[in-house]
Amino acid sequence: MTGREVTRGLLVLIVALVLQLTVGLDLWVAGAHPELMIGLAAVAGLVGGPERGAVAGFCTGIAIDLFLPTPFGLSALVGTLIGAAAGQLANSGVDRSHPLFGPGVATIASAIGVIMFAVLGTVLGQPDMLTTGLGAAVLVVSVANGILSYPMTGVCRWAFGQEASGAAWRGTLVSGDAP
Amino acid sequence: MRVARPRRSRRTLVIVAVLVLLSVTLITFDARSGTSRLTAGIKSVAHDVFAPIVAGVNDVLRPIGDFFAGSVHYGALQQENQLLQATIGQLRLQLREVQGEAKQQEELHALEGLPYLASLKTVTAQMINFNVSNFDADITISKGRDQGVTVGEPVVGAGGLIGQVTEASHTTAVVQLITDPRSSVGVAFGPTNQLYGQASGQGIGKPLAVDLVPAGTPLHKGEKMYTNGLNDAQYPQGIPVGSVASFRGTVGGGSMVVTIDPLADLGQLAYVAVVQWSPGL
Repeated sequence: MTGREVTRGLLVLIVALVLQLTVGLDLWVAGAHPELMIGLAAVAGLVGGPERGAVAGFCTGIAIDLFLPTPFGLSALVGTLIGAAAGQLANSGVDRSHPLFGPGVATIASAIGVIMFAVLGTVLGQPDMLTTGLGAAVLVVSVANGILSYPMTGVCRWAFGQEASGAAWRGTLVSGDAP
Repeated sequence: MRVARPRRSRRTLVIVAVLVLLSVTLITFDARSGTSRLTAGIKSVAHDVFAPIVAGVNDVLRPIGDFFAGSVHYGALQQENQLLQATIGQLRLQLREVQGEAKQQEELHALEGLPYLASLKTVTAQMINFNVSNFDADITISKGRDQGVTVGEPVVGAGGLIGQVTEASHTTAVVQLITDPRSSVGVAFGPTNQLYGQASGQGIGKPLAVDLVPAGTPLHKGEKMYTNGLNDAQYPQGIPVGSVASFRGTVGGGSMVVTIDPLADLGQLAYVAVVQWSPGL
């Protein structure tokens, strides 16, 4: 990662965190609100590959962990795995030309991320995470991140210095993560 | 190229493994009582840094959000021309602001006259965030350690108990609501408050479940329950908690299944009062 990527990445992280803590929390639908950070991890993986996805997922997770009552590091763990998995999928040779590939992956990755968060939280002794509003959280978070994957993709491409490439998840991967 | 791919894969694996290991280490640190203060300190700094930014962004974005929400809720106005819609929307926004201010004033007055707080000092705070997590019921308030708010202090709203301070930074604090699944409040009820139970949260918007109520205990719907001052004195005695919503005996007959609705309106918490009282006193 270059210094420019780190600087841009930090800027994206801070803006995303502020948006999550303001607009994100106000969008309360069916007992749940969107979680932008897990979506950002998935999209970062799609755009930048598994390494950048893992690093981005870890950073977005740590950032939101600072404001959550759940164990510190839990979101970072989930974000790392989701970012790496999304990046691995993007690099696995699947057909990425479909315009709904990115939103689809962001949707599914977000759903898996929320479920993983609830399961790991339960394992770590957090009560009722698998019963209290899990369905609503999965639905709201995955749909919101599927929609928001379009702007997130542009932002991640900018952060990774891929402004000139073609469609986001079809774009040329920068050094370090070429498939 | 064929040589480079396995190396790349190995490097990816190493990076992911290191990050996973780091995450697990942080979780372990957070779980241990000796090092959890470190993570609490880091969280406190983050809250202090982001609180003014979040407040500033909310000040700018919330009126816009209210404007759009108003437009959505008043569907009939969509037939009007664009200029008229904008005008009506602005008028609605102004009206809501006035009503909101009036309601906030009412809440503030109600907080000032809370009878159950007796001689206990309180710090009035504004709610600045609601439910940061989808799995927990908590709020962030606008007062922190600098204003005397400390971890463990009870928090009340107009109507009764709303929760307990679980984190306190210099300028903000996090309050775990009584509906949070991790929350447990010792309650007293009955003609002379001689009967005890344990009210546990079951999630946002759900009633509290009261355990340890023996079968045959005389109860009626709407009966109020108060903090009992026991349970290692997590709360002072006599704060209204909830009113009985339902009750029935269990199959085994040993105890009753009782639920209570919180007396404080947890959906409308513009202002709350932090009671200057420490657990165990």
